[in-house]
Order: sequence, then structure tokens, then C-alpha cells
Amino acid sequence: MDRYQAFLRQRYCAIGGYTGLVCLIAGLGILSPLLALIFYPEEWRLAGGFLVPGLLLSTLGWAAWHWLTPRNGRSLTLQEGSVIVVLAWLLVILFGTVPFLWISGLTLTQAFFESTSGWTTTGLSVVDVTQAPRLILLFRSITELYGGAGLAIITLSAIAGPSGAGISSAEGRSEQLAPHVRRSAKLVLSIYSGYVAIGIIALRIAGMDWFDAVNHAFAALSTGGFSTRADSIGYWNSVPIEVVTWVLMLLGGFNFVLSYLILRGKWLSLWRDGQMRLQALLLGVSAIVLWVGGTGAVYGSVEKALRVALFEPISALTTTGFSTVGYGDWSGLGWLILILLMLVGGGAGSTAGGIKQMRIYILYRSLLWEIQQMLMPDRLVSEPKIWQTNNRRFLDDAQVRQTALFVFLYLVTYGVICLIMAGHGYSLEESLFETASAMSTVGLSVGVTAPDAPSTLLWTEIVAMFLGRLEFLTVLVGLIRLLRDIRPAINGESNL
Amino acid sequence: MAKTQEIVVVGCGRLGALLASHLSNQGHNVVIVDAREVAFDQLSAEFSGFTVVGDATEMAVLEQSRINRADCLLAVTDEDNINLMVAQVARTMFEVSTVIARVYDPTREAIYKEFGIDTISPTQLSADALLNILHQSSLVTS
Repeated sequence: MDRYQAFLRQRYCAIGGYTGLVCLIAGLGILSPLLALIFYPEEWRLAGGFLVPGLLLSTLGWAAWHWLTPRNGRSLTLQEGSVIVVLAWLLVILFGTVPFLWISGLTLTQAFFESTSGWTTTGLSVVDVTQAPRLILLFRSITELYGGAGLAIITLSAIAGPSGAGISSAEGRSEQLAPHVRRSAKLVLSIYSGYVAIGIIALRIAGMDWFDAVNHAFAALSTGGFSTRADSIGYWNSVPIEVVTWVLMLLGGFNFVLSYLILRGKWLSLWRDGQMRLQALLLGVSAIVLWVGGTGAVYGSVEKALRVALFEPISALTTTGFSTVGYGDWSGLGWLILILLMLVGGGAGSTAGGIKQMRIYILYRSLLWEIQQMLMPDRLVSEPKIWQTNNRRFLDDAQVRQTALFVFLYLVTYGVICLIMAGHGYSLEESLFETASAMSTVGLSVGVTAPDAPSTLLWTEIVAMFLGRLEFLTVLVGLIRLLRDIRPAINGESNL
Repeated sequence: MAKTQEIVVVGCGRLGALLASHLSNQGHNVVIVDAREVAFDQLSAEFSGFTVVGDATEMAVLEQSRINRADCLLAVTDEDNINLMVAQVARTMFEVSTVIARVYDPTREAIYKEFGIDTISPTQLSADALLNILHQSSLVTS
């Protein structure tokens, strides 16, 4: 065994160990709907559907963690973090299909779709919520709650988690709240849990019963969007519930660093932050345009039109995916606004998906910079500043290049998936809408996603949701690293 | 140091990067400051603290590196004067309880002592170590 092989094996032991730890924690998540049996003991027959995958995943994870984790060398690089994140997410999604197969009797494709949609906090659904038992509804919301916080963040906050920021950066959480990754992860989880607790109580006061309040608070703050009703939030048709849901969705789509700064009373950072300004502008403009150009004519009363014109853009931009109305009777203008908002997505370092407002803001500032340089004398040296939460940063070429490449990759993938959808015979509008919804992990639907949709279509959406949640590059890096390392780790051929 | 501490490291050279990575791995909250962004490439994967780009002799940079709540500041740039100034500012303006500076020139150590700043002098340490070896091999008699 040569040294490279020995090194690889040692590293993959660490990778396997920490993948195990993530699985252990996710397994406990799959078991957690069973707590609801205290309130609904009549559903005890369904317990097996959660016990078997939950215990299996936890045990496997615990075994891997216990036997493989090395005593020293516990820090992980970004590449190793990517491998762990990809492996763990795939395993967790796989085990998350079991309750749907076992209890709801879905086909394998449908179960995979529902599981992916839950863990990635998308909220597109092929389950008939009117028929589903309460445990399944709760399980769907819990997968969103876990997926929204991020499996890596939950793992890092555990005492025995790995050191170094590799694994959280791989999951798209490179911004930290505190100058240590574990402390930061704990802070994120406390803020998140605090929001969830407040959300549940607020929804209860606004008029939901406890079960609906719990489910909708989970789904809103994780920007997931699974609902317990077929008409989503529209079922209640109540102003207080809609207002509470706005706030919860916005909090979910909010950068956690910003949340933390506001909780500590630093309001100035809120005003300076580029993403906040962009978000306020986008929501304001979309609401006005939608109201004037679309909903005003569709819905008779001014009040209803205004409510819709505010609710749907917030739901789309934060990538939550709750809806209060159907979009069948909307004009092309309304559809386009929602599609664009979905593509932009929520704040960087939040639970939301999409291209992320920070990237759009960086590109916008770079464009202004470019134009300014053309107008100024040749020798002028300038470095435009942007405020990212509480830090002043300067745009540099490397950052602009990375951002532009990411957006390019996003739009290319968007185009390809739209092609596949349109190839299935759906109209252009439907394809554009549904693809944006899946890729940005939103969950608004115009009816393409349905239990009887072709399985190739559902698998395409599964890939889109997975890529969208883990931000492409992590999936690419993780998979390529894994494939490249398998052969030398087994055979010992050290030809790099 | 059993409890989690807030530590500011000024200067991300070989020593600064090593210290910051080690302390971060032990679970402390570490902020490292350097004037050049490329210097942070030396940090190992264990490091998970904040990095601040800027001149540490500026108050704004020090404030950004959370010196207000720091328990400890290590001034380890390769310039004695910068180390002295940063250490003095941390001591007198921000009242950081533990301040340690690296100083190459051993003759300056006395001045640092007067300001209440602990120092480590690589020059002095090397000299002591070398002399110690020579004494043991009895090449030089004292």
C-alpha cells in the first residue's frame, strides 16, 4: 500500500465518520414525528413507517461515526466537506422516502420526489394532503425544518462535530455569526428555533389550530412551503394569518447574520446592507406592478387584490411557496414577475434558495462600476465598496468572476431543464414557471407537478431541486472528488 | 485556558497563522488581522474564525476585529514598531487584559515592560537556547 493510498484511506475514514454523524442526526429527525403520537394515539399503526428508516439510518450513522472517525486530523477541507454534504444528503433523501412508500403507498418516483422536495425545502408536492394522515403531514414539515437549518449546521453544533469551516461552507453557509464555526452554528440554531416558537404561537393566535400552526410555522421559516391544506394559506382567507405568514417568510428568507445584528440592536447594518435594499426594492416594485397590471382586474375588491399582490411576491422571492390563489387566470405579466422573483431568491446565508440577492447585488454594482470606469479617465483607480451585513467589502475581479460564472451556470441549467419540460408537452409559460419553482426550491406550482406527471419529469425536477439547494458547485466538486478518489483508494494507483 | 476566549491575532505570517489555527481548533473565538488578503492563505483548514483585512494600527480596523470584547491580543507582525503600537493601543485604549507582543530587538523589551506589555523575543530565545547548548558541550566556559 503506497503512501497516497494510505492517506486517501485515512481521509475517507474521516469523511465516512462525519457523514455518519450527519446521518445519525437526520435519523433522529425522521423519528421525531413519533412524538406527535402523544396527541394522536389513534395513528400508532403508522409508527413502523418512521421507526424502521429512522432507527436504521441512526444506527448506521452511529456505527460509521463511532468506528471511522479518526482521533486526530478532525479538520475538514472544503472539498472533503463537499463530499460529506453530497453523500449525507443523498442518504438522507433515500431514507426519507420510506415513510411515503410505506404509509402513503406512493410509487418510488413519487416518494423520491416528495422526500427531495421536503429536505431541500422546496414544497412541490405529489401527496394528496386531504387524505394523508397527520403523521405524514408532520413528517413533511419536519424534513423542511431540518433541511432549512441545514444538516451541516445542525451537525456542527453538536459537541463532537468536526473542526474547521469546510462542511458548513460546502452547504452554502460561509458567512458566520461569530468567530468560531461551532459557536456560529449554535447561534443560527437558537435564532431559528426562537423564530419557530414565536411563529407557532403567532399563527395559533391568528386563528389556526395547533396542528396547522406547527406545520405552517415549520414550513414558513424553513422557506419550504408544504401546507396541510390543498389551497395552502388561501384555505383560511384571513388577513391576520396572511400577515403573520408574510413576517415568517421574510424572516426565513433573511440572512441569519442580519437577524443576529438586529437582535443585538444594530439597525444601521440593516439599512446599509445591499441585499436588504435590493429586497425592499424588488418587493415594492413587484407588488405595485402586480396590483396595477394584474390582480386589480382579476379580483373584484381592492382589498383582495392588494393582499394577493403582496403575498405572492413575498412567497416567491423568499422561495417559500405558499399561495393564496391559483395562477390560472393571471396575465403573462403576473407570471413573469413571479418567475423573475423566484430566480432571484432569498438572502445569502438564509434558508432560502435561488440565485440569491447578494449575487444579483454584486453583479449590479459591478455593472455600475464598469460603466463608471468607461466614463472616467484611463488612469483612475477605483474600488467600489459594498456592505455585506456589518462588513464593508470591496469588489474585486475574482469575486465578480465567481458570481458571474455561478449565475451563468444557473441560467444554463435553467434553460436545459426548461427544454426537458417543454419536451414533455407542457406550454412555454408552464415550463418556465415550474422549472424556476423547482430549481430555486420555491414550491409554487401551476399544475405541472402532479401525482400523475410522467416519471421522467419528476426525476428532472428532483435533480433540479437537489442542485438548487446545494448550489451546484458543491454537488459537482463533491461527486468529482469522490469518483476520482475511489479507484486509487482501492487499488493504490497513485496516478493523479 | 479552559474557557472559550475571545482572541485577536494581529499579523498573519507563519507564526500568526499557526497560532490562529491552533487556537481556533481548540474552540476559541479567533479574529485574525492582516493588511494583505493573500496572507490568509496560510491559515489551515482548522481555522474557522473571522479574518479582517486592514492596517491594525487604525482604530476602525481594531474595532472591526471585535477588540472591545477581546480577552487577549497577540501582536505578531514582523515589525517591532507595529507590534508595540497595536499592543499599546489594545492595553490603554481598549483595556484588553492579556496583551503579548513579539519583539525582535531584545533591547526594546525593557520599554515594553514599562508599558505593561508581555513580550516574546525570538532573538533572545534563540540566543539563550544556543548558549545553553554550548554550555552543555562545555565549549564555552562561563
